[in-house]
Amino acid sequence: MSTFDFDGHSVNAEPGDTVGSALYRAGQRVFSRSFKYHRPRGLLCAAGRCPNCLVNVNGVPNMPACVTPAREGMVVRHQNAWPSLETDALSAAQHFDFLMPVGWYYKVFRSLKLWHMVEPHIRAVAGLGEPPGVDEIKGEYEHAWWHAEVAVVGGGSSGMAAALEYAGRGASVVLIDDQPSLGGRARYQSSAADLAAVRERVSNEAGVRVLSRSYCFGLFEGNLLGVLQPNPHGAVKERLIHLRAGHVVVAAGAYETPLVFANNDLPGVMLSTAAQRLIRLHGIKPAATAVVVGGGPRAAGVVADLKNAGVRIAGVVEPAAIRSASGGHCVTGVKTDTGSIPCDLLVICGPLVPDAGLLAQAGAKLVWNQAHGAFLPTGLPPNVSAVGSVCGTGLAGTPANRGGASKRSFVCVCSDVTTADLDGAVREGFDHIETLKRYTTTTMGPCQGRMCQLAAVEICAGLTGRSMDATGVTTSRPPNPPVSLGALAGPRHHPIRRTPMHDEHQQLGAVWLDMGDWKRPRYYRAGSGDETACVRAEYQAVRERVGLIDVSTLGKLILQGRDAGKLLDKVYTHRFSDLKPGRVRYAVICDESGVILDDGTIAALAGDRYFISTTTGNLEFVDQWLRWWLAGTGWDAWLTNMTSGFAAVNLAGPKARETLRKITDCDLSSESFPYMGCREAEVAGVRSLLVRIGFVGETGWEIHCPAEEGPKVWQALMKAGAEFDIRPFGIEAQRLLRLEKKHVIVGVDTDALTTPIDAGMTWVARLDKPDFVGRAALTQASQAPPRESLVGFEMQDDTLPDDGAPVVLGGRPVGRVTSARYSPVRQRTIGMAWVPVDHAAEGSAIAIRSGGRLVQALVKQAAFHDPEGGRLRQ
Amino acid sequence: MFSLLRKERMWRSHDLRRRYDVVIVGAGVHGLSTAYHLGQLHGVRSVALLDRGYLGGGNSGRNTAILRSNYRTPEGIPFYDASVKLYEQMSEELGWNVMFSQCGHLTLAHSDAGIVGLRVRAENNQLMGVDSRLIDLGEIRRLVPGMDLSDRARYPILAALYHPPGGVIRHDAVVWGYARACDRMGIEIHTDTEVTGIRRNGRKIESVVTNRGEIATETVLNCTAGWATTISDMVSVPLPIVSYPLQACVTQPLKPFLHHVIVSATLHVYVNQTDKGELVIGAEIDPYQSYNMRATLPTLEQMATYTLELFPQLHAIRVLRQWGGICDMTPDFAPIIGCAEEVDRFYMNVGWGTYGFKAAPAAGKFTAEMIATGSTPGIIAPFTPARFRAGKLLGEKAAAAVSH
Repeated sequence: MSTFDFDGHSVNAEPGDTVGSALYRAGQRVFSRSFKYHRPRGLLCAAGRCPNCLVNVNGVPNMPACVTPAREGMVVRHQNAWPSLETDALSAAQHFDFLMPVGWYYKVFRSLKLWHMVEPHIRAVAGLGEPPGVDEIKGEYEHAWWHAEVAVVGGGSSGMAAALEYAGRGASVVLIDDQPSLGGRARYQSSAADLAAVRERVSNEAGVRVLSRSYCFGLFEGNLLGVLQPNPHGAVKERLIHLRAGHVVVAAGAYETPLVFANNDLPGVMLSTAAQRLIRLHGIKPAATAVVVGGGPRAAGVVADLKNAGVRIAGVVEPAAIRSASGGHCVTGVKTDTGSIPCDLLVICGPLVPDAGLLAQAGAKLVWNQAHGAFLPTGLPPNVSAVGSVCGTGLAGTPANRGGASKRSFVCVCSDVTTADLDGAVREGFDHIETLKRYTTTTMGPCQGRMCQLAAVEICAGLTGRSMDATGVTTSRPPNPPVSLGALAGPRHHPIRRTPMHDEHQQLGAVWLDMGDWKRPRYYRAGSGDETACVRAEYQAVRERVGLIDVSTLGKLILQGRDAGKLLDKVYTHRFSDLKPGRVRYAVICDESGVILDDGTIAALAGDRYFISTTTGNLEFVDQWLRWWLAGTGWDAWLTNMTSGFAAVNLAGPKARETLRKITDCDLSSESFPYMGCREAEVAGVRSLLVRIGFVGETGWEIHCPAEEGPKVWQALMKAGAEFDIRPFGIEAQRLLRLEKKHVIVGVDTDALTTPIDAGMTWVARLDKPDFVGRAALTQASQAPPRESLVGFEMQDDTLPDDGAPVVLGGRPVGRVTSARYSPVRQRTIGMAWVPVDHAAEGSAIAIRSGGRLVQALVKQAAFHDPEGGRLRQ
Repeated sequence: MFSLLRKERMWRSHDLRRRYDVVIVGAGVHGLSTAYHLGQLHGVRSVALLDRGYLGGGNSGRNTAILRSNYRTPEGIPFYDASVKLYEQMSEELGWNVMFSQCGHLTLAHSDAGIVGLRVRAENNQLMGVDSRLIDLGEIRRLVPGMDLSDRARYPILAALYHPPGGVIRHDAVVWGYARACDRMGIEIHTDTEVTGIRRNGRKIESVVTNRGEIATETVLNCTAGWATTISDMVSVPLPIVSYPLQACVTQPLKPFLHHVIVSATLHVYVNQTDKGELVIGAEIDPYQSYNMRATLPTLEQMATYTLELFPQLHAIRVLRQWGGICDMTPDFAPIIGCAEEVDRFYMNVGWGTYGFKAAPAAGKFTAEMIATGSTPGIIAPFTPARFRAGKLLGEKAAAAVSH
C-alpha cells in the first residue's frame, strides 16, 4: 500500500490503484469543477476519456486521475476551483446562465473598447489547470523507430485474435494496448467471455510483441502509427514510438458515452463501464444504492456486477423514461416518468461509440448504421483493416437521447454546452455540424468529442430534420488521445558544430558567435582590449602584415564526371564548362525568378572535376539544389559533400606569400600562381588545395586540407607568420575588411528579392549561355533599369548607423543600410546600402535614419580600399 | 442584453437565381469581406457568394488568427495597417463582437542577422506611423515572464520586435459577422455549391456553372484559397501560384500565463494563448507542395520541439489536435489582386499565402472598390497580376518568412 497527498490530505492507495480509484475509495466524489459554470463533477468514464477528473499531479496540470497510476508520495491538487472543490465561488456562474447562453460574448461586447475592458476578466477565469512554473525541470523523453509487418491496435478479444492469426502466418506483430494487461472489457465485465486462455497464448507467442499501457494517437500517411509508451525504462518519462507497419489492424473497440438528460453531469452519475471498472479492477463498492439506466442484456450484466459488489439496486429504468437526476452536490435520486427513486449512484448504460478515430484519420468514411446505432467505418484504405466492435460487432442500437432543450442537460461536459445551447445555435443558423461545433465549442474541449460527438450529431439531426448521415461527424484529427509536447519533441538534441581548429581558437581567446549550427570566433580577446580594439588589431594585421581566419564552415562540394561542367552551367549563372584546370571563378546561384540564392567559388581541378564552395548557411540547400537539377538528366555527374572532410583557412595580407612560402614548395609567384588560380600542393607536409582568392582584399590563399590535419596546418601557419606578427582574425574583422572592398555577403547585403542585376553584379549573369536557372528572369531584369541599387556610402559626420537603418526620402523608407562600420582606411564611417536607382550616382546625397534622426551620407561607387584590386593580384 | 434572447438566423439559404451582377467564388473571409463592402459602400447587392463546403470551412477557419501590420515594405505596411484599423472598428460596425484581442505581438531575434532584419521593420514601421519597436531582453522579460530567456537555449533570444497593436481575433466570428451583414443587405450566401466551370465568349464571361445549376453573370471574383489556380484555370488564366500545406495545433487549456503573440522565424514557430486557455501553435509551411490536409507527425514534432525551446516548462502539457490548411504561395509572397489580363471582369483576390486572414478587411474593401468602379485603388495597385509578366516583384518575402 502507498500513500499520496491530495489537497493536503493523505490518501491510501492499494496496489493497482489509479489516483482516481484511490480517491473514490477514500470517499471523494467531486473531482473537478466544470469549465464554464464551475459545476461539481465526479468520475464519469473512469477510462481517461472525459474531462471530469482532470487534476494536477506533481505540478503537471490536466492529468486524468482515473488512469494515472497512484504512486507513493505523489502530490495531487484539484484544478479550476476556488477556494476549494467543495465550495467554489465561481459556481455562482450557473445562476447567471441566462446571461450566458451560447455565443453570448459575441452579442454583448460589441465594441473594441468594451471588449478590451472585459477580456482580461474572462481570460482570468478561463483555462483549466495552472501552467507549470518556469523552473519546472525538463522531463526525459525519447523517440524510437520500429517496424512491424502487422500492427494491431487494441488488446481486447478481437485484437488478440487478430494478433494470433497474423503471427500464426509467420508475420511479426506488434500489439498495442492502452491497459495494464490484455483483455479489453473482459477485464472488468463479468458478462464478457473469459479470455485468460487467449491471453496466455498471446504472451507465449514469439511473433507477437505486446506493448501494454501504450496508446496510438495517430495513424499517419504510409501506415505510420504514433505510439506513446509511458515509463519505458529508467528515468524516461515517455517514449514516442514511430511504428511503421505493413498492415494495421484497428481493434480499438467501442467506448461508452453519456446520455443527455437534465442534471446528467452530477457527481454520482456514472457510465456503467466506469462502475464496472471500479468494482472489478479496484475492488471498490461504488455506492450503497444504485439506479441503472438501460435495458436488455447490457443492463442485466451491469446489475449483476453491482449486486456482486454489494450495491443495492433501487431500480432499472429505460433511458426514454428518465427525466432528470436530482441532487445538489452529488446525485441523490432520479426522476422518471413514473416517479422518483432515491439513490446515490446513477449508472448509465450509454451509447457505445466505435473508437474509429484512427481509421477516419487514415481516410475511412464514417457511415451511420441504424441497426448498430453507430457511425461505422467504410472505405478503409489498403493495408488497413478493422475488427471487433470498432466495426459495429456486438453493438445493438442506441438508447435515444432525451429530447427537448434544457439548460441543465449537458451534451458537452468539457465546455458546459447544453441542449438549450445547441437548440439556440441551430435556430441562429449554425446548423452544419462543423459550424455548430465552432459556435458552441462542442467537441472542441479536452475530450475532443469522445463524450459528446454522437449526442451532438443526434441532436443536430433532430433539430434540422436531416438524417444522421447528412448531418455527419466532424473531422477526426490526431493526436487522439492527447500527447505531451515533451514526447513529441523527444530528446531535443541540438547539434553544435565545431571546426577542427576549435581548440586552437579557444586557446587564442576566441569570443564565439553562433552561425547556424556552427560556432565561429567573432573576435579574439587580446590583452585588456574591448571588442572594438581587438577587431581593429586583427584588421590591421591583415591590412599591414598577415592574418589567418578559419573558414572550415564553408560548404565544400566535389562534383565530378563527364557532364559536371554542363550541370554547373545549368545551375550557376556563370559559365564553368570552359574553366581551365587550375583556375577559379566566382559563382552565383539564382532561382527561376533571378533571385540570388547563394554564392561561392568554383575551382576546376581537372576537366571533369570541380571543387565548389558555398556559404556556411546554405550548404545543405546548394547540395540539394544541385541534386534536384541533376535528377532525371541522365548526365554523368557525381556530387560529394566534403564539408566535414576538409578544414579550411584563409591566409591574407601583404606578408601572406612570405609566410606561406616557408611551409610549401608550391611556386606562389603571381606569374605561376595568379589571382583566381588554384593548385594542389603540400602545406606543412599536408596535401592541400590552395585557392588564390581575396574576399578581404589582400593577397591571400584559401587552403583546404583534410579535417584531421587542420590544427597542424593552422599551427604551422601561425608559426611561419610569427616573424610578421601574424594574427588570427574573426568574423567581425572579416566583415569590416570585406566592407572596405564592397564584397557582397549573400543574405546580408542581399535579401529574398535581390537579383545579380540589382546588386550591380551584371557580369556574373552570362545571358549568352543558351540556358540556366533564372536566365529568363535575368534577361528581363537586364532590359529595364533596376528600381534599387546596392551602393557604397560615406557618412558626413561621425554617426555610425546600425545595420538595417532605413534610407529615407520624403519621410518614407526607400532603402536600407545593409552594413556600416568605421573604416580605418577612410577614417570615417562607411557602409553599403540599398537606395533608389536615381540616388545611386557617385556623390548623391542620401539621408539615413539613425537613433531617430536623419543623417547625411554620400554615395561612393568605387571600393573604399584598393579599388583597382592591385593588392589582390600582387 | 435583449440580443441574447433573440434567435435570429445569422444568414439564410436561398435557391440559386438565374443571374447575379457579381458572382464571388469562395465564401471565406476574403469573399465575404468583398461582398460586404460591395453592398455597404457601393450598393452592389445582386451578389452571390458560392462555396463548395460550409461557411468559413477553408483557411478562414484554419489559420491562427494573428493580426499585425509590422511589415517591411512601404507597400505592405500601409495595406496591413489599413486592415488592422478596419478590424479595430469591426465589432461596432457589424454589431457583433469579433473578439479582437490586441494583446501585442513579439517577433524574436536569435542572431545578429535576425536583429538587423527586425530593425529594418521597426524603422520602416515607425516612419510610416505603425507602433513597432525593437526591445531588449529586460523588456521582453517584463512582458513575457513565462518565456525562457536564459542562455541555456541553443539559440538564446537576443531581442524582439514589439508591436503593441498586433494580436489575435476570433476568426470564425469575423466570418459569421460578415455573413450576417451580407445577408441583411440581400447578398446571398450559397454553401455546398461547387463551381465546376466558367463559360466565356472571347474576353467576356457569360456564366458560372455549379453543381446546383448555371448562373448568368459578367463579373466573377475568384476568392478561393488553396485552390485558386483550379478556378482560374476554368477561364485559362494562368497564375504563378504553388500550394503548400501549413499545419497548426492546439494544447489543453491552461490558466492564462502568456498574454502576447510570440513569433520566432529562427525556430519556425508562433504561439499564443487563447481566451479559453489553449496554446495555439503554428508551424512553417510544409517543405513540399500538396493539396493534402492530412496532419503529419514530423511537423507536429517540430512544433513541439520549437515551442519547448521557448517554454521548456510546458513539456508535460498535451496537444489536443492538429490540423492543416493549404496555402497559395506566389513568387514574392505578396497577394494577387486585380483583373485578369486575358479576360474582362474576371477579378482575383488570391495568392494570400500564409497572411490572408489579417488582410481580409482591407483586401475586400479595395477589391470591392475595384469591381464597383472599374478602377484599381492605389493601395492595391502593386498587387496586380501583371507584375509577374513585368518582372516587378514585391518585397515582402523577407518579412513573411514565417507563416504568421
